[in-house]
Amino acid sequence: MPRTRTTKTVAQRIDLNYFKRPTRFKRARWLLAVFLPLLALGWLGWHGLSRDSRVYSSGRMSGSHAVLEKHCGACHVQKAGEFSAKAADGACLGCHDGPVHHEQQVGAGVPACATCHLEHRGRINIIAASNANCGGCHSNLKVGAGAVSYSAHIRTLEDGHPEISVKREGVKDPGTILLNHAIHMKPIRRGPNGPLVQMDCSDCHRPESYKGSWPYADANYVDAKVSYGEQDVLLPVRAGRLLPRRVMSRAYMAPVRFSTACAACHLLTFDKRFDIGVPHDQPVVIHTFLVKKFQEFIAAHAAELRVVRDPKRDLTGKPIPPEVRTLTPAQWVSEQTADAEELLWRKTCKQCHALNFVSGQALPHIAEARLTVRWMPHARFDHDAHRGFSCLGCHPGALVSKETGDVLVPNLANCKICHAPGPDHAESRCFECHTYHDWSKRKEVKPSYTLPALQTGGK
Amino acid sequence: MRMDQTQRTWATASLVIFAVSAIAYVVYVSQSPAGPSGGSFMGLVFGSAGFAFMIFAALLGARKRVPTWRLGRAQTWMRGHLWLGLLSLPMILFHGGFHFGGPLTRALMWLTIVVVLSGVYGAALQNYVPRMMTRDVPLETIYDEIDNVRKALRAEADNLIESVCGRLGLIKEIDEGQRAGGFTALRPISASAVPLRTSAGVSAGASAVAMAPEIVLLTDEESKPLRLFYFSDLRAFLEAPAWQRQRLGDPERANNAFAALRRLTPLVAHPALQDLEDICDETRQLMRQERLHRWLHGWLLVHIPLSLVLILLGAVHAVMALRY
Repeated sequence: MPRTRTTKTVAQRIDLNYFKRPTRFKRARWLLAVFLPLLALGWLGWHGLSRDSRVYSSGRMSGSHAVLEKHCGACHVQKAGEFSAKAADGACLGCHDGPVHHEQQVGAGVPACATCHLEHRGRINIIAASNANCGGCHSNLKVGAGAVSYSAHIRTLEDGHPEISVKREGVKDPGTILLNHAIHMKPIRRGPNGPLVQMDCSDCHRPESYKGSWPYADANYVDAKVSYGEQDVLLPVRAGRLLPRRVMSRAYMAPVRFSTACAACHLLTFDKRFDIGVPHDQPVVIHTFLVKKFQEFIAAHAAELRVVRDPKRDLTGKPIPPEVRTLTPAQWVSEQTADAEELLWRKTCKQCHALNFVSGQALPHIAEARLTVRWMPHARFDHDAHRGFSCLGCHPGALVSKETGDVLVPNLANCKICHAPGPDHAESRCFECHTYHDWSKRKEVKPSYTLPALQTGGK
Repeated sequence: MRMDQTQRTWATASLVIFAVSAIAYVVYVSQSPAGPSGGSFMGLVFGSAGFAFMIFAALLGARKRVPTWRLGRAQTWMRGHLWLGLLSLPMILFHGGFHFGGPLTRALMWLTIVVVLSGVYGAALQNYVPRMMTRDVPLETIYDEIDNVRKALRAEADNLIESVCGRLGLIKEIDEGQRAGGFTALRPISASAVPLRTSAGVSAGASAVAMAPEIVLLTDEESKPLRLFYFSDLRAFLEAPAWQRQRLGDPERANNAFAALRRLTPLVAHPALQDLEDICDETRQLMRQERLHRWLHGWLLVHIPLSLVLILLGAVHAVMALRY
């Protein structure tokens, strides 16, 4: 007889109260549903008891503020009677000043610190503001008063950024030192009787902090004191320019100096009786030097006062002097000084300097050199960061430039070869070259922290 | 819940909500100089929507505790749980701008991901496992009662073997409980009682699973192989069927074992042997049911507790984010 299996027989196996009995699965589910939330609350409670609010942080802090990671209250200052403890500008300004951007800036457009400097985004560079922050105003620039004197529609480097100002149409180098770059970049003779040399850019152009030797320097001139200062040589940066806060000592090329770059070849000799040249200085200093040198010479060489005419030196249009003349020392010094100055003013100095001869004045006036150190006063550039690249890669004009007025700064397109959006390119956001704050208006702040105390949780 | 045509409305609505949110997110990111932030207006909108979806999904558990309340159809709640719960993940990702943030927000992001993925996994299982259950376990019973059913099968097997081999001193397990039809199940029935083979027998008041021994059919010599098999293999299997190495756990090996036993026992005992083989088969089905049930519901051990943690920490995050 086969085993019979009906609905009733099957149903009778079932305890009608089965759902009231706990099972392993139900028990496990209930235990986990109680235990895990309690564990989570315990986690928060443990942080609360240890007064560590980092658990509520929305992300790690930037590298600059990493030391404040444990000190939420340093920025999140809670006002009395308020629940909110949001970070405000006051907390930022407690440690560092944030000068205004521009005097003409529209007042209402001044953003809060955290608008551009986002915190809790990991170990980022907090200075790295987004292009949109700058573009917010510069894409449609308006000023509080007066006319807009800058490009008014700049969104990014790729969109609306004008050409570098000195590379625009008609802009010339304001310098007055006559220099033919093209000649100097070809094999050139070192001095009147020297060997041929091939000069390199770094023979003349080096950062200020460079301490090594210069191949075309003359120790006599390097060590010599001069009556003029850098302010007489360099073109001053106009007021109102947003200079970067930090200018690295290797960032910019130092102005080219005669003593280190020119003196070895461009000898300032003035008379075959002397091995040394005149000082590289103002005409009055040179004149004094010449008089003194000739006086010393004639005192030691009185026979030189008897001057025999040299037919080779007779110049057309000038009266022919007697065959033999006997001069007083003063006459001799005066004549020799005049000859030397004629050589200097009309040839040696004039090769590089613009000399103005004013009637009634014995000595010429040398035009100010007006050397430009900062070609981009609104932007920062670091030669040191680009040291891996050859100079001529960015300044190819140096090979062909013959005029002082040629501006050899590369075009913006040259920068954009590397500085462009995307992972395969260098940084191209605004902050890479420009600064927002006018650091010339910077105010000092009172220090808030002491290092050992900060490490242990205090101020 | 099956993923079929009936889900179309909810699926379409969810897709539309997702598409609108994604477009809004792209526009919002492109117009935010500082990039996406949970504290911005749009960030808060996404965060609030995501948290609201989570709350709704979590309320399904509460809704199940009051099935008699008229709070909408259970099916609607389940669909809302599925689709809004799924939508909460992109909403929270949009809220955080795909940044995981600090310790609490990172924990919340991972919890959201784990809860939603475990839910998706559970929904996928719900789509396939019931079909497998119907196919592989035709004798399916209530999961919580499997142990009792197994006990009943063991008692039935004991009675069967005693009906063939005579009294073997097997202890009758008494398990009191309210059974369908108002009976107290698994009561031992006297030998003189009507053998339960038909529904008429059940109606007469006997238990289907606790039959009294009938006529002893075999001598000691004849029943020896059967008794040996019963005590060495069958009863051990019925007592602890989860033991994988038992040969009766494998249908083919069990079939071979019973075929060999039939050759060693007289013909008269073969119906009882067939019954014992059926009991083995039912036990195997219960094993399969247990396994499928663990697949079908095991994910809830992750999904439900972590959902509660997520809701709790999410509420804390909402309050503390307002503060900082």
